[in-house]
Amino acid sequence: MSLREPDFDCARCVDAAPYVLGALETPESYREHLATCAICQAEVDELQLVVDTLPATVPSVSASRALRQRILATVRSEAELLNAAGPQADRLPRRASRWRSRPLTLVVAGAIAACAAAAAIVVDSGSSPHMRVISAQIAASIKGAHASLYQIDNRSNLVVSDMPQPALGKIYEVWLNRGGASPQPTNALFSVTNRGSGSVAVPDNLHGVREVLVTSEPLGGSSHPTSLPLIRVVLQA
Amino acid sequence: MELAARNDADAFEVILERHADAVFSLAYRMCGTRPLADDVAQESFLALWRNGAGYDRARGSVRTWALGVTHNRAVDALRRVGVHERRRAGEENIEEHLQAPESTDAQAIANVASQEVRGVLDELPGEQRRVIELAYFGGFTQTQIASMLDTPLGTVKGRMRLGLEKMKVAFATGRSVHELA
Repeated sequence: MSLREPDFDCARCVDAAPYVLGALETPESYREHLATCAICQAEVDELQLVVDTLPATVPSVSASRALRQRILATVRSEAELLNAAGPQADRLPRRASRWRSRPLTLVVAGAIAACAAAAAIVVDSGSSPHMRVISAQIAASIKGAHASLYQIDNRSNLVVSDMPQPALGKIYEVWLNRGGASPQPTNALFSVTNRGSGSVAVPDNLHGVREVLVTSEPLGGSSHPTSLPLIRVVLQA
Repeated sequence: MELAARNDADAFEVILERHADAVFSLAYRMCGTRPLADDVAQESFLALWRNGAGYDRARGSVRTWALGVTHNRAVDALRRVGVHERRRAGEENIEEHLQAPESTDAQAIANVASQEVRGVLDELPGEQRRVIELAYFGGFTQTQIASMLDTPLGTVKGRMRLGLEKMKVAFATGRSVHELA
């Protein structure tokens, strides 16, 4: 085997190497070209094999336990909701594209990580139920924690990560604020693992609910909040 | 992977454990900071989870697929941050976090493979290696690279192709890059 000369039967073959390296400014147009050009496709296929070896040159660095737990907490919550929603509630429709395709739902992960002002992401999965993910506001006292509310149809789950465990004799309680003088208590009480992960089903239909709140309460829960909210999910401004 | 594609969180956990370090390592190499690498790795794994049905075994291993997704996410992240603010991952950055080599056979094989690829990459002429690294690990576009190196765009494209072609032949024949014409 020896070095090949570029195949100049197609003028766009020179874009194959930048394409597989991710260096084209507009890869979409070249991707469209690939669908109609066997010369370029063959070149891309060969060079891609080489590019796929490049990650092997990277020194190994361990992913943190917190990162793994955040990912797993989200995965488990979504699996629970999707499985509960039935066989029609599956992933996004498969996209016919190469590795560079960007699934629509990816912003969800960003929303969880961002943990900023509430932002809802509605995922339309065709015939499947709609999935809505709303990132929560976190109190400054527990900075670094993350929380998101996952809604599929009328089911809602609150997923938290990197939350401190409730103080001794305390538990987290979920409240629904419908705009009245005081938020309504729920029977959703939860704690978190020693690594800060937790998940709780939010009871009741959230129609008309303006905010979902979480406070720290005495074991057994309270009928009125005894502390300021640690988590606030804004459903309606 | 088939199980993970059917909403099986336990199956996905296996995939996560198996590939988390590789995915994070690539993200960290490209992004240069743990927070950004964390975001990229998390985005990547959730993309794999949510689009698991998009995995095509014929196109390569799960790891290759995962790393391809990670690379794309990291490039997107780098370009969002902006070139001027970008902190390109330098080797001194990485070395602080180098793991002690594990003694499993799989790790030993991986280390050999890693050394071989690294060796071939290092044997490339500097101008070819540089454009490949700037593009793949730095997330720069070909035009940016041409500007940074004050080199015509066509030359940059040619160096990318020639460098990759040499690597391919070196892998296939076991010959040193220096022996290739």
